[in-house]
Amino acid sequence: MRALLAAVVVLWAGAAAAQAPVVVASKIDTEGALLGNMIAAALEAKGLPVTARIELGPTNIVRAALLAGQIDIYPEYTGNGALFFHQEGDPVWKDAKAGYARVKALDAERNHLAWLTPAPANNTWVIAIRRDLAGFPPHPCLDDLAPYLAAGKPFKLAASAEFVESPAALPAFEATYGFHLKAGQLLTLSGGNTAATLRAAAEGTSGVNAAMAYGTDGELAALGLVALCDDKGAQVVYAPAPVVREPVLAAHREIAGALDPIFAGLALETLQRLNARIAVNGEDPGAVARGYLKSQHLLP
Amino acid sequence: MNRVALSLAGAGAVACLGLGFLSLAPNRLLSGRAVALWDAAGPAPTAAIVVLLALLAASAFAAPSRVQAGLATALLLAAFAAAGAGARDLAGGASGLARVALGAGFWVLAGAAALAVVDGVQRAGGGLGAPLAAAAAVVAGLAAMAAAGWFDALSLMREYHTREAAFAAALGRHIVLVAGSVGPALLIGVPLGLAAARRPRLGGTIFPALNLLQTIPSLALFGLLIAPLTALGLGGIGLAPALIALTLYALLPVARSTAAGIAAIDPAVTDAARGMGMTARQILWRVEVPLAVPVLIAGLRIVTVQAIGLAVVAALIGAGGLGSFVFEGLGQNAADLVLLGALPAIGLALAADLALQGVAELAR
Repeated sequence: MRALLAAVVVLWAGAAAAQAPVVVASKIDTEGALLGNMIAAALEAKGLPVTARIELGPTNIVRAALLAGQIDIYPEYTGNGALFFHQEGDPVWKDAKAGYARVKALDAERNHLAWLTPAPANNTWVIAIRRDLAGFPPHPCLDDLAPYLAAGKPFKLAASAEFVESPAALPAFEATYGFHLKAGQLLTLSGGNTAATLRAAAEGTSGVNAAMAYGTDGELAALGLVALCDDKGAQVVYAPAPVVREPVLAAHREIAGALDPIFAGLALETLQRLNARIAVNGEDPGAVARGYLKSQHLLP
Repeated sequence: MNRVALSLAGAGAVACLGLGFLSLAPNRLLSGRAVALWDAAGPAPTAAIVVLLALLAASAFAAPSRVQAGLATALLLAAFAAAGAGARDLAGGASGLARVALGAGFWVLAGAAALAVVDGVQRAGGGLGAPLAAAAAVVAGLAAMAAAGWFDALSLMREYHTREAAFAAALGRHIVLVAGSVGPALLIGVPLGLAAARRPRLGGTIFPALNLLQTIPSLALFGLLIAPLTALGLGGIGLAPALIALTLYALLPVARSTAAGIAAIDPAVTDAARGMGMTARQILWRVEVPLAVPVLIAGLRIVTVQAIGLAVVAALIGAGGLGSFVFEGLGQNAADLVLLGALPAIGLALAADLALQGVAELAR
């Protein structure tokens, strides 16, 4: 009975939603602007009426807006399911497939939200070092950090307070890879802005030679930095995927068909390259998004 | 001797000698290398600036204030012209990713010139004619250079050109945010201020409440409004919560200046009005309100400038406006994108202040 009632409500809401434009939003950051513009362009190409609210606000605002039905679709990261459902300690979020399945199931059950195909990329926290730092192999990994530190070589990491203190971030790296950073080896910034930490490392401000970064940050190469690979999986996986309200998806089934091939093609290197065009070259996110989709024949 | 003009000319000269006029960065993210005025702009613009600085310093001893204002206006425009020309030369010899930004030397020189304009105009006196003429000359000069593409090599203009359509929309939205909050604040705040002036005990509850509102950090107030507004069906993001929050912030200065304007009226005036047989209502509208208007307009100037600044934060709840460039720029550590939002907000504040000053002049 309950399921029937829910189905009726979804269908009714879906019929109403078929008339209204689809409100596409994103977070107020580089990758949010890129992915939000991709979603908007893809839906427009399918002939759907679209209202764009790209770069709406920070995560809590955009998520609240989606839950309140103020927006219909925006790109979110699988690992943030830990935050939304207060399951920060659960190891499931460190596994790309299992974490996606968990957040998809929870959001469908509790919030009538549908998670579409995620990108095969991980925008998690990483530690980036200067490429010219002596004592690391050409493709450095976090495993190389402990011997480097044990040898007493210079190391100073610029990071946000959250990165230093949150058990899922630096402490998880330290526990997994067996190193410990002393207070003098850390430069803590209260804001969580990777643009500032990366610049500090690139310019050697206050002796900083390593920085907190995100996996898909496009600036790394342009700043002469390289991310240390996390091959033991110390970190939660943050794969971007479109999240859409179920009534809207029911009214416009073609949304999934339009977005699945796009996100399936967004590998880590692709996202880094596109993010760099926005952040380093200063290109317009909408133009970068449409240009990429056209080059991949995903947009007419 | 006008010491202000002399020291401003001195500050401009020191800035040209000691600070980088422009800065050249290898790309949008890295810090730039300072480039001196003569290296960036070449001999002719440098000579023009030096001559104008010398004339400005000389004008401090003998020339009338109008001449000082004219020389300072020319200096301000010359600084912008040299920056545009220098940026074009620097960018021409660098890679496509390189960015030329305005340096500390430019900002100090332009700031000193602008202050010298204001100083000269104020000393000249004679109402709004001189300030308007100076403002018109600066705006027309800058607009002509911008339209001719003179500044296109500057990083700030490159940020503008990638966001041309969004910029017009953001500027319009910013004005909507300010007008849409200052208007209602007047409609609510003036009666509140009148009531508080009438009944001091009522004022004793109104002002602490408005004071309390004023102390809530803007982002926190925006956040607090999301849940109740969504419940009311107004939408917790976008324009509605931003307008409500900005209106609440504007209430205190409006109500305060209204009450202060009424309180400043000499009791003998209202006594005389009462003696002439005016009713309380007539006294309010024909005597008290007209006499309180200058103080009220002074309050309105503060409120409008404050709202223009606060509306920047509204970008964080999806209300748009110039703040969207500020926060995008902060996230990307792109100082020129931050400036693309901040400079027009400053321009709006200056324009609103000048306009309201004119209204105050007319009301007097």
